[in-house]
Amino acid sequence: MHGGDEQHETAIEPGFDFISPRFEEPKFPMHQVWGYAASLVLTFAALWMTVNRIMSPSVLLGVVLAMAVGQAALQLGVFMHVRESRGPAWHLVPLGLAFAIGIGLVGMSAWIMLFKSGVS
Amino acid sequence: MPALPSFVPYLIHTLFPPWVRRPTEIGAEIMMTAAGAFIVYWLLKNKKLQWLWNEWLTTVDHKKIGIMYLVAAIIMLGRGGLDALMLRTNLAMPTLHFINASEYNEVFTTHGTIMVFFMAMPLIFALFNVVVPLQIGSRDVAFPRLNAISFWLFAFAAALFNLSFVVGGSPNAGWTAYPPLTELAFNHTVGENYYFVSLLMTGIGTTITGINFLVTILRMRAPGMTFMKMPLFTWATLNTSVLILFAFPPLTIALLESLLDRVAGTTFFGLAHGGMPMMYVNLFWLFGHPEVYILVLPAFGVFSEVVSTFSRKKLFGYPSMVLSMTAIMVLAYGTWVHHFFTMGAGPAVNVFFGLSTMLIAIPTGVKVFNWILTMWGGRLTFTTPMLYFLAMIPTFVIGGATGVMLGAVPADYQFHNSYFLVAHFHEVLIGGTVFGLLAGVYYWWPKMFGYKLNDHQGKWSFWLFAGGFWPTFIPQYWLGLEGMTRRMYTYPFGMGWHTLNVISTIGGLIMGAGFLVMVSNVLRSRLHREVDATGDPWDGRTLEWSIPSPAPEYNFAVIPTVDERDWWWEEKQRRQSGEKPAGPRPEDIRAIAIPKNTPVPILLGAAFFVGAFGLVFTWWPIALMGLAGVFGVLIYSWFQYDHYRILSAGEIRETEELLGRLGA
Amino acid sequence: MSSQAFTGGHKASHQELPPEFQDQEESIKITGFWMFIVTDVLIFASLFATYAVFVNRIASGPTPAQVFQLNTALIETLILLTSSFTIGIAIWAMRQNRQRMVTWWLVLTVLLGMAFVSIELTEFAGDVAAGWGWHTSAFLSAFFLLVAAHGTHVTMGIIWAVALLFQLRRRGLTTVTRRKLYTFSLYWHFLDIMWVFIFTVVYLGGRLI
Repeated sequence: MHGGDEQHETAIEPGFDFISPRFEEPKFPMHQVWGYAASLVLTFAALWMTVNRIMSPSVLLGVVLAMAVGQAALQLGVFMHVRESRGPAWHLVPLGLAFAIGIGLVGMSAWIMLFKSGVS
Repeated sequence: MPALPSFVPYLIHTLFPPWVRRPTEIGAEIMMTAAGAFIVYWLLKNKKLQWLWNEWLTTVDHKKIGIMYLVAAIIMLGRGGLDALMLRTNLAMPTLHFINASEYNEVFTTHGTIMVFFMAMPLIFALFNVVVPLQIGSRDVAFPRLNAISFWLFAFAAALFNLSFVVGGSPNAGWTAYPPLTELAFNHTVGENYYFVSLLMTGIGTTITGINFLVTILRMRAPGMTFMKMPLFTWATLNTSVLILFAFPPLTIALLESLLDRVAGTTFFGLAHGGMPMMYVNLFWLFGHPEVYILVLPAFGVFSEVVSTFSRKKLFGYPSMVLSMTAIMVLAYGTWVHHFFTMGAGPAVNVFFGLSTMLIAIPTGVKVFNWILTMWGGRLTFTTPMLYFLAMIPTFVIGGATGVMLGAVPADYQFHNSYFLVAHFHEVLIGGTVFGLLAGVYYWWPKMFGYKLNDHQGKWSFWLFAGGFWPTFIPQYWLGLEGMTRRMYTYPFGMGWHTLNVISTIGGLIMGAGFLVMVSNVLRSRLHREVDATGDPWDGRTLEWSIPSPAPEYNFAVIPTVDERDWWWEEKQRRQSGEKPAGPRPEDIRAIAIPKNTPVPILLGAAFFVGAFGLVFTWWPIALMGLAGVFGVLIYSWFQYDHYRILSAGEIRETEELLGRLGA
Repeated sequence: MSSQAFTGGHKASHQELPPEFQDQEESIKITGFWMFIVTDVLIFASLFATYAVFVNRIASGPTPAQVFQLNTALIETLILLTSSFTIGIAIWAMRQNRQRMVTWWLVLTVLLGMAFVSIELTEFAGDVAAGWGWHTSAFLSAFFLLVAAHGTHVTMGIIWAVALLFQLRRRGLTTVTRRKLYTFSLYWHFLDIMWVFIFTVVYLGGRLI
């Protein structure tokens, strides 16, 4: 629509193969069914582990958080078609950075706000 | 709200409490009303309302939006500068009560807030808008309508913030607005509400701008322009946009939580009920430090363009420039605690952030060396933008070095909140950002308007501004070391601060004179303009100089294929040697879809303004009306489909013919 | 220069892409929406940071264990996970050009979203009735803001989806409505991800600390 004849995409630069686009259109939504099942399994597993306290709370918190990250990856990969793009999937770079900085932000804030020293 | 008979006195008392009925405020009120009335009168008399609406208020053209940002930024520079001069006047002599303590609080708060959010940011966006689409060979930004929405959110937020001076009272807790000073219990006027609400509003606009330019650069470059062939201003824009994306959300949450504390009774940052003011400080600087680089990276981009154009040489060390800029972008997220070392988060935390602070000086140093080496062996011309570049080098180096001093944790306990700090950040923000942006305005002025600003007057303005800058801020380092603290509104005799303060105030007045010369230069250059028909008055190197000035609404009749850095420089040689035609060939020109004007952005801004005003005074019915307006406009816009009009190939050929641009 | 590998590794031109990506302008809007999601990730990260710092600051208010009901949270989680599945199927149906199917799966998604919001509101109302508002303690302020921010997002999503249903009815599966459906699905899945983190950090975490 923008001008019609434009060809704006540039080729993927060497070393950036991971952002090459992927499309899938199967006849039956098998992926989605599996993704849904997996997310349910992860949810119930995390719940079961927490209710029964199968290990020490701090380790357990780490484990359930890792499972949440797994669910996020599942949603991104299976449902959000994160690699679909016209031209290189450049949005992957800021998105990855967002999750990294987001987790860093929470962790660092908690660390800073502990006020470990008491001397100031 | 009280019953009807007492409604009018209630309204007058709320909107015009005693502290906005002081002589300065009443003077400002009269001036604002008179200026508004004059503008309306002038528009009506010359029958310009229709023109204003069609050409400017509803436009989605990035070039016009850029110009509107520029005008707003210059007005705000005037307001913020006036604030600064009031502060400096008060400090010129010991116990000089030119303005009183509470006025002083309000003035330093509005000075800082306006300079950062309503002067520097729009000036940066002015350059983004005008330059980036032209530099990457695009017809517009990725989302022209969102671009206009960003502008109007900013414009209405700026109007709201400035309104606080005469209606209800100004914010008075500093530009950082630390709690518990902003909590309702300690600060019960509406001033801080103005601060939080208008910053939230402009923050939404800024975030949208960040998204817009990031996507524009990622997806809309001319064919052949790979990342390593992009001009450096475009690289700066890319990195700045990423910084905006990651920095503004923490600010939004910090502001939102403070606002909720004030208007909805939450207890985030209050001292009662387990609240903790430190968390605001943490969130604010999670934004605040990247913001420093949001302000300075575009200036780095401008300097890179300016130095290579006026040295008539390729930029030295292009890959290291790109790499260092990206390194700054990433490292910017790891240094925020150096703004509050004295909070006492502990030695481990402070050491970590002290080290990361020193680390970030390295890529910045790389850039300075590359600029200097670009000039080496070049044929230099000392135009106004080049002078600003040359003035930046020593200023920024000293400002950066004192920054490293502040980053040394034990020393910071001495420097913290003293005039040493004030001198440091003014030196990098004026010496880096403002010099850079002014250089950019002089440099791209002909691209925006089709004529240059007068160079002679530009140099006068430069010498006053940069010459006044040094006496203003260098003495403040010593004042800081001698114990003068930040935000102190007056001081007694016998502290030994008198002489240095006098020098500093005189310097400030000289800078003010420089600003006035700049404004007069703008007006006089317009009156006596010499139209530049070439579109390339500086013998430039990048794509924006290959098209006429001002650029036609479609920018490029035919989008060029860019196969090297400094494409236009090389293309000029090819055109001279006859290897390539002198312009686009008529048969290559195709019809172009142009985004239509729309009233949606300005209406959305107005609806936000109404809602925000209601929120400031916690008049919920008005706030809800604004919210309903926002939703109304959004839903109207969701159901609109026909966003484009077609410019036929014939019309474009005619335009290009008239501009004398067609190649054989 | 513009042909990229996809679908089992063979090279293909843009003409073989799904319509919402075939169109340059619409595909740019999808990239833009990803960038919006990036900013929203950081919004939620800031809210999580506030929550993490304030979780122990309960003043004279209730403890996390007193406030949270794991059963309700589990039901909410299951509803949201299911709605994420239904919108996923809607997008799959869109790619198969089956408009009626898209409509019904989208309607189902909206209903699930409404169920989620009403359960959440009931939960909030219960807390407030017990005298636990967001003015009680910094912990409750952080909790309510985090969960309410998510709930507001879901409500916005519902309004958006209803507007989309009208457009789908009027215009059918065009390039533009396809892109709008696609970005809506991104938004909805993203909210699901954020809920999974809320469930883990707030509700499961409340059991652990």
